[in-house]
Amino acid sequence: MTHDSRVVITGIGSVSACGWTASDLHRGLLSGVSAITHPKNFDTSGQKTSVVGEVPPAPETVTQKIPEWASLSKSDRFAVAAAIEAVEQSRLSTDLWAAGLFFGGSTGGMFECEEFFGRLLKTRSGHPGIRLQASQQINSPGDAVARHFKLTGPVQTVSSACASGTLALGMALDELRSGQCDVVLAGGSDSLCLLTFSGFNSLRSVDSRPCRPFRADRQGLSVGEGAGVMVLETLEHARGRGAVPLAELLGAGASCDANHMTAPHPDGMGAAAAIQSAIIDACISADQVDFINAHGTGTLQNDISECRALHEVFGLRAASLPVTSNKATIGHLLGSAGAIEAVSTVLCLIHGVIHPMPDEGDVDGQMELDIVLGASRPIAPESVAISSSFAFGGANAALVIAGWKRGTVG
Amino acid sequence: MTPRPSVVVTGIGVVSAAGCGAAPFAEALASSDLVRSSVDRSAGYHRENSSRTAVLSGGADLSEWISPSKARRMGQPSKQAVAAANMAVAQSGLESNDLDRAAVVVATSYGAADVTENILRQAMLEGPDAVSPALFTESVANAPAAQVAIALKARGPNLTIVQRQAGPLIALAQGVSAIVSGKSSIALVGAVDEVNPLLHSILDRFRALARPDDDGIETARPFDHRRSGFLAGDGAAVIVLETEDAARGRGARPLVRVRMTGRAFDPFAPRTGWSHDHDLLSESLRKSLFTNGVDTIDIDRLVTGGCGIGPGDRIEALVLRSLFGDAPLPPVLAPKGVTGESGGGFLGAAVLATTGSPFGPTPGFTHEDPELGVIPHDGHSLPDPTAVLATGFAAGGAAAWAVLEPVEP
Repeated sequence: MTHDSRVVITGIGSVSACGWTASDLHRGLLSGVSAITHPKNFDTSGQKTSVVGEVPPAPETVTQKIPEWASLSKSDRFAVAAAIEAVEQSRLSTDLWAAGLFFGGSTGGMFECEEFFGRLLKTRSGHPGIRLQASQQINSPGDAVARHFKLTGPVQTVSSACASGTLALGMALDELRSGQCDVVLAGGSDSLCLLTFSGFNSLRSVDSRPCRPFRADRQGLSVGEGAGVMVLETLEHARGRGAVPLAELLGAGASCDANHMTAPHPDGMGAAAAIQSAIIDACISADQVDFINAHGTGTLQNDISECRALHEVFGLRAASLPVTSNKATIGHLLGSAGAIEAVSTVLCLIHGVIHPMPDEGDVDGQMELDIVLGASRPIAPESVAISSSFAFGGANAALVIAGWKRGTVG
Repeated sequence: MTPRPSVVVTGIGVVSAAGCGAAPFAEALASSDLVRSSVDRSAGYHRENSSRTAVLSGGADLSEWISPSKARRMGQPSKQAVAAANMAVAQSGLESNDLDRAAVVVATSYGAADVTENILRQAMLEGPDAVSPALFTESVANAPAAQVAIALKARGPNLTIVQRQAGPLIALAQGVSAIVSGKSSIALVGAVDEVNPLLHSILDRFRALARPDDDGIETARPFDHRRSGFLAGDGAAVIVLETEDAARGRGARPLVRVRMTGRAFDPFAPRTGWSHDHDLLSESLRKSLFTNGVDTIDIDRLVTGGCGIGPGDRIEALVLRSLFGDAPLPPVLAPKGVTGESGGGFLGAAVLATTGSPFGPTPGFTHEDPELGVIPHDGHSLPDPTAVLATGFAAGGAAAWAVLEPVEP
């Protein structure tokens, strides 16, 4: 398969439990210390577990850039802040008039919606003002970004649970290749809310400690919140304005297990199909992949299924291919997980290191994988990485991202 | 660059207030038979003077298309989507093996409203420990798309699009993209919505719903001078997309060709409404049609999202008037007058309109709005169309459109 256009990443932004910038994310992930802890502004009383990856309060340097701040939901704020950072880094003029936007999310303004509903049920005090519902819809964070930057191109949100962010980046790639747009913003945003935290706890899939993907004593995931946003453009467009890409989005793939609403296929068939599809789309071979930023939730079923998928795709190489998971540090950002993990993958490629997971617990003996624990690993700047997401309902998605040797464009 | 392959619709399934199947749905559109139901107000969510009716599909008998044992584990959107998908696939003549790489793309505005409300009620009234795990799995917006994939073993990309009234046509664009890019050979594209009392009461608090007439009846009145809001509506529609070559190669009869799709965004629209100025969307639509080689002179039918909400109908009308300039508008269909504000109803009506299915008079239209200058279809017999422009302008600024054409047998 060949493509008419190459697509490059020229700006990244993120909001996470590590802080309100991609630099904060990089530092946090490099530290090998989990940011998952007891929340200050999210009520976990009555829940089976009580640690989350909560975003700290926004610094003034962020809020002052967003005049509409007061009217936005939490997930809208994460989205707009991450997008501003990405656009600033891309050095695009703020006139993004013709650009499109592809976003992923799972609950939109559900946190504020819950406040409305609690007041309606009189379990919370206050008047159930309809303003609390204004950002309720799942497309609200993406729309908020489009409104902030005055985008007029295609704007759409995908909500395929935990694969949403990765699927959004894949849709953006297709759009740029099709020639419909030269520049798009793509990513995802989600905030902590009662619905998802109670739901995952009801499934008994949340670890009472910060999650430990691929470890023998793992007990489940940790729920997090935040956003990841990228500026994507055709290489031709980037060259035309003298921009230096940070990385190249080589390919995207998607599949569905079509097997079960919550459990991944035990053999990882669907996950493997998505990764293989992304590799084919990228016009590379599996041998060219240098490391994996895994979905790695820390649930018993996901991690073993993902391990099998990696062995299916990479064969004997799977045992020596470095594998990391950001969820051990920032939690599972659900609809925006794929977006922030793609941002993290770009950070690895820019800085020439693979982010480690906190070194807690022994690796599960069933996992014949080279799990990156405790300390970062050096990688070459032209390395190729897979970033993957696997969701409720069996939706699977994967991206192939390659480093960009600085100075080759411009 | 190789020419884009022709993508066609080879099957359609609909679940609506008129019942289960495309045939009763088509009959309802032909007769403008508006099936209103009273919305249950017993939970106390509604204000005293709120709207009271909606076009609800919950009573449709799905048993021919989904077994009760499977349906029991699903929320209404999932079971309706699966039933509609089974209908569409049956009409297409595809075998289950053909669907292995099929993409599933489903649009929804609010997802599983009832399940979500129930989880929150459990968590808030009884405590988080009371939340049912079975409910949680059905609360995710992609549950209908996932259940369709599970039911049909469709292992291609699985996407759920959430973009309000533009969602169904964005889903159509994504389905076409999946086929044109070669990532899937078949795409099941649909839209599904569910209206429950809580959602109905919230829409009413936004003053989005039709107010009662003097005789106490709530009518949507698309494009009418007296329009006061939409009727909330729910249901599901799913269509099967494949390349025309593949369809003809297996002896299937294509129903409709998707000539082009387009999307745009109006960043000046408020979060829950529409812009006053139509110029931006008018220019986007004009450019999109031109780029795809579509001349407005070729368009002889409009399937609008006109639903009776003041600023939404207004912007759509002004965009269409701008597109056609001094020329008279082709016949304007406003199916949401019958289906209520339902994505599935809109998608199903767009496909049926292209096949030449008759449409009755637009419910409630009696007074032309002089600013809009749109007189929707009055029910007279129309010749079969040659090109249908379907448009969806969402609250919040997103917009999508498609040009559909009938296909010669």
